[in-house]
Amino acid sequence: MSNTNDQTPKTVCAECLKKTNIGYDDEGRFFMPYFKSINHVEVGYSKIISNPITIVFEWILAKFYQLKDGLISLGKWLFPRRSKIYGKLIDSWLVGKIIFEANEAEEIPIHHLPLEFWGRTKLGQWRKLSQGHSKPDGTFRLPFELRCARRFGISSLRFEVSQISHIYYSETEATTVLTIFHKIKIAKSDLIGMEYNLRTIPLCFWEYRQDVKMARVVITEHGKDAPQQYTKARIEAINEQMIPVELTKVKHLEQIKLDPDSITLAEIQADYPENLTMCIEKKLPGYTRGDDWFGERMMNGMNRGLFLPDKEEQGVYWMKYFGKQNYDSNEEYAFPDSLMKFRLKPDGLPTPVMIKLRGPLNAINRDPWQEREFTPADGELWQQAKRVARVNGGLCTEVDEHFAGTHANLEQYAIAAYRNLRLSPLATLLFPHLKEVVLINHTADGILLHQYLPSATAYTYDGIVARVADIMGVMDWKSWTTMTPLSEAHNYAKAEQLFWDITTRYVDYFIERYLDDIRKYWHEVYCFSEDLVNHSVPVFLSDIDFSHLEPREKARYEDMKEYLTAQFCFDYNLPRQHRDGQLKVVSPLTLTSALLPENEREEIANLKKACSYMIFVATFLHTWANEHQNEDIGEVLYNCLGLRYGDKESGVLSPEDDLSIAPDLTRSTQMMWFSNLLSRTEYGFITRNEERDINPYFGELLLSKKEQFAALDVIVENIESRTNI
Amino acid sequence: MASFNTSPMTKRTSIGSFIWYMITSAWDKMVLWFISKMFAWALVVTLSIPHRYRMSHNNGIAAKGKVRIVDHPAFPPHDFFQPGRTFPARVRHASATFLDDAMNCIRSLSVKFSEHHMESPFDMEMNTGPINLFWSARSFLQFAKLRKQKWGVEYHDYYRIYPQGLEGAKVSLRRNPTSFHNLRYHSLTPYLFIGKDGIKRYAKYRAMPFDKEPETGITTDLSDWDTCNQRVFPNETRSRNYLKDEYKQRIEKEGAKYMMQIQTRIAADDDSPEIFNNQIPWDEKIFPWQDLAVIEIEEVLSWKDTLMTSFSLNNMPKSLGFIPAKSIYDYNSLNYMRSHSEVARKARIFSYKLFGYPPEIPYDDNRNVSEWSGKE
Repeated sequence: MSNTNDQTPKTVCAECLKKTNIGYDDEGRFFMPYFKSINHVEVGYSKIISNPITIVFEWILAKFYQLKDGLISLGKWLFPRRSKIYGKLIDSWLVGKIIFEANEAEEIPIHHLPLEFWGRTKLGQWRKLSQGHSKPDGTFRLPFELRCARRFGISSLRFEVSQISHIYYSETEATTVLTIFHKIKIAKSDLIGMEYNLRTIPLCFWEYRQDVKMARVVITEHGKDAPQQYTKARIEAINEQMIPVELTKVKHLEQIKLDPDSITLAEIQADYPENLTMCIEKKLPGYTRGDDWFGERMMNGMNRGLFLPDKEEQGVYWMKYFGKQNYDSNEEYAFPDSLMKFRLKPDGLPTPVMIKLRGPLNAINRDPWQEREFTPADGELWQQAKRVARVNGGLCTEVDEHFAGTHANLEQYAIAAYRNLRLSPLATLLFPHLKEVVLINHTADGILLHQYLPSATAYTYDGIVARVADIMGVMDWKSWTTMTPLSEAHNYAKAEQLFWDITTRYVDYFIERYLDDIRKYWHEVYCFSEDLVNHSVPVFLSDIDFSHLEPREKARYEDMKEYLTAQFCFDYNLPRQHRDGQLKVVSPLTLTSALLPENEREEIANLKKACSYMIFVATFLHTWANEHQNEDIGEVLYNCLGLRYGDKESGVLSPEDDLSIAPDLTRSTQMMWFSNLLSRTEYGFITRNEERDINPYFGELLLSKKEQFAALDVIVENIESRTNI
Repeated sequence: MASFNTSPMTKRTSIGSFIWYMITSAWDKMVLWFISKMFAWALVVTLSIPHRYRMSHNNGIAAKGKVRIVDHPAFPPHDFFQPGRTFPARVRHASATFLDDAMNCIRSLSVKFSEHHMESPFDMEMNTGPINLFWSARSFLQFAKLRKQKWGVEYHDYYRIYPQGLEGAKVSLRRNPTSFHNLRYHSLTPYLFIGKDGIKRYAKYRAMPFDKEPETGITTDLSDWDTCNQRVFPNETRSRNYLKDEYKQRIEKEGAKYMMQIQTRIAADDDSPEIFNNQIPWDEKIFPWQDLAVIEIEEVLSWKDTLMTSFSLNNMPKSLGFIPAKSIYDYNSLNYMRSHSEVARKARIFSYKLFGYPPEIPYDDNRNVSEWSGKE
């Protein structure tokens, strides 16, 4: 397709990119509907307050909560909890042991938990009687003076276990903020001198779920037992940004319920903000369906694809998206393997030259091994094949790169970090980037994995989980490297390398600065590493018996292995750990509880690499995948994550105006809602540092490369500091 | 280790804080006195009169003989402990709380430097084990409250929350020793010792077989959670009175001979309160045990005489008496409480006159009990 007006594609794209770029309005408004929490977003009807009478009552309730918050603040001012410890003559101790609550054969101690023993006077004043930390074996022995605890004026006593809830930077020094995680009341009459045994205290503290293969944290009820909470500002951000989109979806769903014939897909699309492809199509009709755009987005769009050099032909590259064949799926949506062959143009951007689709393309022929090849010479069929490949690519990018590659991948590091890092300075390095990922993943479980994706794509929930586990089976911090740019036009790879350089520089600086303390608390690093390894998934294909597979299956698995290994930079030859009869994918950072001199060089290098990897994934990698969603899946007919077989022989190889293969009305509005939700409701950026939890040095390094990033179409101010959407 | 606030008493003391200190001290002593008295009267009302019981050591056997202070004492000279001085003596061995010698019990040896069942110039009560199960009046009350005995299992809750109590139990309980005679008994709590030189000291006492026969009945690696289980072994063949029977036979055959020892240390103004803590034995290298007296026992007393034999911490010269206590948390408050239990002793003796003597412990299969069933 060629453009029909005077503007060049490049200028049109730049213009549209600027026009459709998502910004943030800080002005909040009352008497507007709002969400109560991020976890109240739903694929169907979110828990949104829109009725005016309800809003009035909500206003009263809001005032009540404000009053309550005010009273709590007043209480804190009147009855401060000072750090002074009361007591001189140490003659008594609180003893006990703290372990993880999980039903494991062996007790797993929780080390270095901050512990405090407080008394409250009859006049409400707090008296700190003791403080300390649990030891590496989980035991504790808090000394205190018995008479201080048993004074007539003391009305109650309690033992508190805290955890780090927030990191706060002033200049370059980090302060940890603790919140109480668990408290135990102690009767004064029980204290009689000597030791008082609180026995073994099991805590449901960042426990691993037992129902899935990958590392996921236990959250049964978001608002109550989640191990951490969103900040208020985060919730307010989603309120402000998401409400118009939510109302749009609600309107559509109501209309569809009342009379589906009264609304069309085009009207649904038009109701949502215009995205990049729609903007370009208005100025350059057909451009976004062309080969140039196809190749450019595969390289520099949401897909940020891996171009694997052809083994035989120079200058030829393959991008492969593997479909549903070996995963649990439904019979309604097509999801064949899409193998795309590219060549580089003189401008350095790729152009597709052949697309091979393997698998069913219609509802009639269900042979999973059927193959069809398409080239530009196929005319309209070529356009349709590109659409199929684009849709497959969208789904694979969302599930493999976005969810598995960032969200699920990060969660395993987050759980291990929060379970084990406390006194080590690594907590202040990593927590600002690992926070909230478990919360958003829990929400994603509900609305995406259980609801939307199984209804709008070929996957079932089980299929998605199996796929995610497989993809995570080729993700290891140790062998990961940045993508090698194919050409000067490979903006993504160049931006990735630039950001990686900044991240490693920042991490190097941090670790060198705090090396002594890191060494001192190496036990925490060891426990972190053990948790990470023990709960990682098996290496991809390590638990499959190839001897029972037919040759085609074997070949396909080999093909998957080859491509995914390259895509995620996985090294099958690295020595790995066997745990519980499985070959675990994640490499350990260390195998010793103390940093041995002979291992120091290698293990500090491991630590730097792993920390850089975690921060990189949480920031740049996730931002890229998330931010470009609206550009590449913000137009239903352009890219919709799933094409239905329909009832014709042509199946998914039909023009865009064949709505029988496009998502239906409900799924279309849901998809647009998702695309906008995920791209428009970001909060927590490195340079903006809204919660002052990012080391300013990291922001400085990033800003120093602002121009270089801008040249690659990356706005540094939009790079998130964590994965929370 | 947390840093701790210094109390006002270490700084220059103001009049106000001094008065406050006096008031609180007086209050603490009053509380101690009140609780000690109440406890004693509670014993009278609940045990001594209605049941004719001692508080704990009801299962015992008494005997008589003589006690002779060693000829060449290595401990500081004292008017009472003159070298070679001889007194008539009564001793009483007992198994604490249960009426069954074959249970896992703390065993005791009480010595009276007198042949009278009550009057005496010097009494000493000792138990097996170098550390105690409680360390103050307050902890003793908690110990009593959390007993919750049922068929030979007791102090389960107490051991769970007071690790030192559990440790004391582990080292003090004796299961199926071959004889009362070969056990080691400790006073645990320190007493005053103001010798001829007028220097204030503290003293602890212990007794052991004269020939240092190895101690029996010690259980190693006692389970944390099963220490509360003091029941007889399944298919136990030893009778409820086997230890008392052995002692009788021993006395008849060869008598019993003990060495009583003393450990002293000089009192200093800056002594840590922990030196009175019966959970912390004094270092034997710094404060060695010295031979005090040889006790020779020649005749076992009858059951009635055994019942009548009673001991009191008030039967001591003032220079050897108990150390004053300041509060119910004070480590010396245990002896204070003991010294205030005279009324319970006397009430029990009086109850024998009213209701007769409790029967001897029968040779039956009613095991694991701590009370007479009334069917004896």
